[in-house]
This record gives sequence, structure tokens and C-alpha cells, in this order.
Amino acid sequence: MQDFLELAVSATASGCIYGLMALAYLLMIRPTGIINFAVGEWAMVAAFGGHLLLSRWEWPYAAGMAVVILFMAILGSTTERMTVRPLVERGAPLLAPILALLGVLVVTREVISVSFPPDPMPVPFPFDIGRLELGPIGGSYQSFFIITVTALVFIGAWLFFEKTLWGKSFEAVALNRRAAALMGINLSRVTTLSFAGGAAVAGLAGLLVSPNVSAHYLMGVPLAIQGFTALVIGGVGRVEGAILGGLVLAFAEQLTSRYAPIPSGFAQGVPLVFLMIFLLVRPTGLLKVRA
Amino acid sequence: MRKWLAALLAAVSASVLAQETIKIGVITDRVGVSKPYSEPATEGVIFGVDEINRKGGVLGRRIELLIEDDQSRPDISAALARKLIDQGVVFIMSVSLSPATQQQQTVTMEAKTPQMTPMNSADYLTTQLDNPYFWQTGPLGSVQIATLLAHARTKNFRKVAVITDNSDLGQAIAKAFKGTLEKAGIQVVADEVIARGATTAMPQMQKIRAAQPEAIFLAGVLTAENVLIFRAYRELGVKFPIHSSYNLSVPIYETVAKGLVNGVTFVDAYDPEKAEVKAFEAAYKKATGKDPQNLHGYGYDGINLIADAIRRAGSTDKEKIRAAMQETDYAGVMGAKGMRYRFPAGKRVGFDPNGMVVRVYEKDKQGRVLHVGAK
Repeated sequence: MQDFLELAVSATASGCIYGLMALAYLLMIRPTGIINFAVGEWAMVAAFGGHLLLSRWEWPYAAGMAVVILFMAILGSTTERMTVRPLVERGAPLLAPILALLGVLVVTREVISVSFPPDPMPVPFPFDIGRLELGPIGGSYQSFFIITVTALVFIGAWLFFEKTLWGKSFEAVALNRRAAALMGINLSRVTTLSFAGGAAVAGLAGLLVSPNVSAHYLMGVPLAIQGFTALVIGGVGRVEGAILGGLVLAFAEQLTSRYAPIPSGFAQGVPLVFLMIFLLVRPTGLLKVRA
Repeated sequence: MRKWLAALLAAVSASVLAQETIKIGVITDRVGVSKPYSEPATEGVIFGVDEINRKGGVLGRRIELLIEDDQSRPDISAALARKLIDQGVVFIMSVSLSPATQQQQTVTMEAKTPQMTPMNSADYLTTQLDNPYFWQTGPLGSVQIATLLAHARTKNFRKVAVITDNSDLGQAIAKAFKGTLEKAGIQVVADEVIARGATTAMPQMQKIRAAQPEAIFLAGVLTAENVLIFRAYRELGVKFPIHSSYNLSVPIYETVAKGLVNGVTFVDAYDPEKAEVKAFEAAYKKATGKDPQNLHGYGYDGINLIADAIRRAGSTDKEKIRAAMQETDYAGVMGAKGMRYRFPAGKRVGFDPNGMVVRVYEKDKQGRVLHVGAK
């Protein structure tokens, strides 16, 4: 039981990271229909930002975190302006911006790989290395920090979409672009904001995971795949789907690694099996869009 | 006519100038997977050449390095070996990955040009091709494993765990670990794999804890995933010792795994207490302002072995250099105290099978030597 609770904390923390990555996809895919695989590289950029500000220049954690997230939001909206908007404005098919963003993925990774040494770079913890015990539940400070921050982000995102006029305009664009435009909603502003939000959330995921895995130039693609799998499991329709998908994926991964009587190498196939099953049986994911 | 004469004169003087240096080719990796290893080794080569040239060069001539980057790709590396030979190199040093080095041999064998690698560890480099122009002076993979297990044998373990990552090399080392452990009658009670890009190693470490081994053998070669393993190990507060492959001899762990690696033992070919190492470290620091790593030592030894062979050959004739190289008897920076590079008759592997050491991390630094040799 002790084992299980310990694992539950670590799986929840991993699930939160996957959930944030899924949310980053979702923020962009809802209003635009564009799936942006560069989110993994954005998480990596933020991890390197964390390394520079927090480790090399030793800024206070909160200030460093705020600056990195702000930078990511600017990076996201700039990327949209430079690669997505020109294509959309000229009436290119939906596949064009998706491919352009794959180009962004490669360029981003190579810029980082030539700008930094090849080794993984350390990123500090906000609260040092340590263990917190809450009754029978125990885990590292970082696990609890990840869980708390992710919970706040998801509550914020939910309130934004459900309770604010801005959020409603996002939903309206997602439901019907043309009708939304006719109602006076500024489509390009919604698109820019969705990319800024997506990059900020992906950056947050990168920043939260990097003290554990270090910042290195190959960290983006695995995060992009984990987030995409979580998105498919949870469904692209609702914000709650992203975190649900992330948690389901992380628990499936870690419980099989720990308890399934199969060789450790095979346990890594579990997420992919999940991805296939969901795509076959329930391509809309666990949570359906509300009518 | 005068123009013609001037051109002829220029060509002649250029060729005289060109003959003044001894050209040595280096094939390294500046952007590929082996970059973290190849770059420091190449810096060691460059430092070594500067030192040799400052002391008057070899046979009264300066050494000139021609450096090429094959990205550790076998499909590129052979063409680069050809290019270097066309540019007149008398020796090629290979410091990217083993498969790329292997591919270069097809060219050096045909062109009868001496080639050596000071750091590749693949056992097959001198066994698959019968190339009398190729030598390997880095410790073989099998020697690394034998040394680590020789140290483990002194502890009388009966059951141990093996943990690795899902990279090709990590899998290969884990397989070799398991084979050798089982042959020694030591039971492997847990056999765990961390996937590249994982965010935690908690489930695997819990499984190992539940199997109650007396030690963990770490075969992983991916730095970020190894750090996850150390983190889970500390977080779960398990106490059995970790014995690691030579991957932990890369000093990046001193910064990226700060506070996590103390007490971890690892196999290395570098003894900081050795006189040659102390002299090398002081000279390197004086020349470059930076502290060298063990990886710099591989490149430094490589260029000195080549210079030593050319000196003894007394000429830059490739055949004479080949004969001299085979007769090498040289003490360098790498290897345990007293180790000398030698090629036994008919063999082209120069690292003494008992020349590796087992070291331990102390205070977040690579510390003292605990064990020497594979016996």
C-alpha cells in the first residue's frame, strides 16, 4: 500500500506534465484546427530559459519563472504571426501551417543544439530536494509543486472558458469560425492568443519537468508524443479532457512498469497501445464536446 | 614568360612549404550523437599538437592537423578518410563513433595509410577486418565490464539488480552485464529499463527495492535518464550500492546530478593520482585556462602515440610508420599507474586489459581509485 501511494504521487506528477502538454495542443487546436507538434520544442526552450535564468544567473525562482512564461507567450504569438497567419491569409489548406510548424520544430531544436553545450544542463528546484509526507502519502517536494501548479492552471483555464466573455469567444470560434467572425469576433486575435497561451502552457510544462530530467536539446519530442497521447485519450473537446488523459496515461505507464509481470522493456509499449486503442475505438477521447 | 616563371616559382615554394609540416588527419563528431565525447577528445589532440610543436615538432617538422567532422555517420566517414589521404596525411585518428571508424578502415586498408582510434570501445574494430594499418588504444567494452565485475566480486554479491535505458548502447551494456554476472553465479533479481524521455524512474526503482538486491548495476548511457534513476534512488532512500558503467566517468554528472551521485562507483581509465595525469592537468590548465577531463586525455594520448611512432620510424614513410606503431611501448595519461600501451604480437589493441580502474564519487566530484584491473 505504501508502495502504491508513493507511486500514485509520482504518477500524478507525471500525469500533470502530460496534461499540461495536452492542454498546450488543445488551446491551439480548438479555435484553429491546427495541431502544433512544436509544443515539445517550446517546452525545451523554456527548460533552457530556466537553466539560464535560474541556474546560471541565479535569479529568484518566481521571477525567473514569470519571465520565462512571458517570453514563451511572446514566442508563441510571434510564431503564429510569422508562420501560420501568412498561410491562412492566403487561403492555404490546413495542412500547410501544420507542416510549417514542423519546420519550426526542427529550427528551434537546432538553434538550441548549436547555442548550448551538448550535455544536459541543470535546472534548480524551487524548493530544494526533499520529501513531504502527508499522512500515508509521501513524495518529493517537486512532485507536489508540479501537482499544485497544474491544478491552478487547469482551474484557471476552466474558469476562462466557462465564465469569461473572452473564453466564450474562443469556444465560438471553435464551434463555427464563419459564424463567429460574422458576430464580430476578431479571428486573428483569437488565433494569436491561442498560440501565446499554448506556448506559455508548454513552457510551464518544460519548466516544471526540467529539474528532474535536466534541460537538453532532445527532450522535446518525447514530451510532444506524451502530450499528444494524453490529448487523444482525453479528447480535444474540453479542457478537463487534457488533464484526465494525462493522468490516465501516466498511471497506465507507471502501474504496468511496477506491477505487470512483463519484461520492463515491454512496459514502454503501453502508451502506444493506449493510443491505438483510443484512435480505433473512441477517436473523440474520453470526454465528449458539449452540444 | 616572366609571369610563367613567377607562377612556377610560387608553385615550387608552396610545395616546399607544404613539405615542412607532417599532416595528420582527425575525424571527429561536431554535431552528432557522439559530440559530448568527441569534442573534448579533439581539444586534447589540439593541445597535444601545440605542445609537440612548441618542443620542436617531430623529425624537425611541425605537425599540422586536418580536422574533419563525420557526425558519427558511417556513410560520410569513409569519404572523409579518402579526402584526408588525398590531402597527404600520413596518419588518421578517429574519435567519432565505432561504426564510423569501422567504415574508415575500408579506405585506410586499401590506401595503406595508418589509422588509429584512441577512444572507441567496440570490441569488433580489430577483429572483423584484418587491417594491419589500424590500431585501437582505448579500453575495450569487454575490459570495462570485466573491471567493474572484478571489483564487484570482491564484495561477494549473491543477488543484484540491473538497470539501463532503451538506447542501443545501454541495451548492449546491460546484456553484457547480465551475461557476465550470471556466468559468475550471481543472480539478477531485477532487470529494469527506463525509456528515453521518461519523466520518472520511480516504478522501476520501487520494483528493484521490492526485489531486495545487494547492489544495482547501472548500464544506462543517457545522462538525463541516469539522473532520473539517481533521483528515484535518493527519493526512495534505498541503500544498496550502485556500480556504474564508464558512462559515469563523463564529468557532466558532477553538475547535473549534484547531490545525487555520492558513493556511486564507476569504471574509468583515468587515475587522478598518477604522475602523468598530474603533469597533463597542470600543463593543460596553464595552456588553456581550463581543467581537462579524462576525455581530453584520450585525444592527448592518441596524438602522442602517433608522434612517438613517427619519431621512431625516422621518416614519414607510411610503411615505416606502420612498423614502428606496431612496436609501441609508451606510458601515457590514460590507464592505471604503470600501464604502458603495447601491441602484443599479431594484435592491434593497445590498452592493457588490467589497465582500467574503479573510482567513486565523493563530494560531487569524481574521487579516488578503489580497484585496479580485471582480476
